[in-house]
Amino acid sequence: MMRRREVAKRVFAYELLRSTHQIESEGLRYVLTPTGERVNRIFSVAVLLDKEEIGADTNNWRLRLADPTGTFYATVGKFQPEALEAINEMNVPELVAIVGKPRVFEGVSRKLISIRPENIVAVDLSVRDYWVLETARRTLERIEAMEKREGEDVELAWTVYDPDLNEYREMVKKALLTVKEDVEIMEKLEESPHEDEPEEEFDFEEFEFEEEEFDLTDLLED
Amino acid sequence: MSRAEKLTDQILERIKGKDVKVKREDILRRMKLLIEEFKVPESEAVRTIMNYLVREYGIPREELFDRDSPLVKIADISKVNQWVSLRAKVVQLWDSNSPNVSQVGLIGDETGIVKFVVWAKASQPEVEEGKSYIFRNVVTDSFQGRMQINVTRTSRIEEIDEDIQLPPREIEVVGSMVAIQQNSGLVKRCNECGRVLNKGVCHQHGKVEGYDDLRIKAVIDDGENVYEIILNEENIKELTGIGLDEALKIAHETLDRNAVLAELKNMLLGRYFRVKGLRGGRYLLVKEISVHKPKADDFNEILEALA
Repeated sequence: MMRRREVAKRVFAYELLRSTHQIESEGLRYVLTPTGERVNRIFSVAVLLDKEEIGADTNNWRLRLADPTGTFYATVGKFQPEALEAINEMNVPELVAIVGKPRVFEGVSRKLISIRPENIVAVDLSVRDYWVLETARRTLERIEAMEKREGEDVELAWTVYDPDLNEYREMVKKALLTVKEDVEIMEKLEESPHEDEPEEEFDFEEFEFEEEEFDLTDLLED
Repeated sequence: MSRAEKLTDQILERIKGKDVKVKREDILRRMKLLIEEFKVPESEAVRTIMNYLVREYGIPREELFDRDSPLVKIADISKVNQWVSLRAKVVQLWDSNSPNVSQVGLIGDETGIVKFVVWAKASQPEVEEGKSYIFRNVVTDSFQGRMQINVTRTSRIEEIDEDIQLPPREIEVVGSMVAIQQNSGLVKRCNECGRVLNKGVCHQHGKVEGYDDLRIKAVIDDGENVYEIILNEENIKELTGIGLDEALKIAHETLDRNAVLAELKNMLLGRYFRVKGLRGGRYLLVKEISVHKPKADDFNEILEALA
């Protein structure tokens, strides 16, 4: 049977950064998050703050990205051709949607999570806004499942992380409040596109040119 | 009550009211021996004992084994806790996120589609998407206000050599376009059969001239499930403003047919779409697709719930 494509999970940076536990199952690697999500693929909308080539002309890029809850890293190399092409052409900062695989790396003093993007595309604010809404919903569902102690992954998350769920609720709230205002402004603009700020006609009459500045005749005579 | 005792009582329940005297201790002793001592699988233990009852007590085999629940249609399922049998096709399987569930998904017949859950404890053989089965002795249940079918250890799943037709099923999803698959963009199709050519070659008709077309095979992901969709030229033009003519222009200007796909990816990937379509086999047949945007009310709703 064909292997089912792994669903891209929605996780805020704040939670992603605190994910240190990996699970191997049926040849696939998953990251377990503190609210019990099992992640093989992630979908995130974040600001690409910085891109930095690791060594000159290696075409290996380290990306620093931020969503409303935190900053995380991604690395793109030749094995992610689509993302690589996009990164080469992209200027920072830019709001991007990113689909990728999370990996945990063991550093000297701590574990670090990083994303391997499959693709990365510039998007507009409404995508970010909906992503925050969706990720908030999913995170709250997971928090609820944690409270009810539903399922194997949830139990494992309790054992590994013993999270303070209120901390995650606060994070969700903060994220929602950050973008809510934005969405409200967008809605108002759509309702009355031109009423708020009538576009001022540019008044050329008020401009006074010094004649001689624009007199190019002497140049032509040369 | 021990597991052996429970199973014994279930067997006795089956022959209750029959004109036979069966000693509970007799059955229980055998059950304990098989399960607890010999560690025989429960289903085997039950079958062995039922065979014993047939032999020793002369209970007609049909009475013990073929007390199948009535065969019903999915549309007729309305009450919970009804034991029924269904002839149905496995429409879709989801990833089970609980160790207690062996398989979960949707099954359907001509009249409708219903969620089904095979509990891990039921130790049933796995079913496959697209195949049809008789689900004997399954029990109806309700979960979050919707009907579902539970497959338990007393159920039996038998594959049948028949393709059960499903009603057209329209679904609506909001999800992000997380991938655009190969053979998308400006493609050439075979003049004879319309299949997409691979390097100018048709599977069926060999090397042909072909004609240009625009299409996208994409994956929509809503964080819980993935849906593969195919967009035709009309869909693509509506979403991006790029139709076949524009695509050909891009290809001419850049001298690169792949430039069209790159452009479309830039415009579509990562965005949220609301897709309405019919589920048919692997692909969701798109009827309507539009860009999805959030509403301020949605935010307020969650924030109020959080407060």
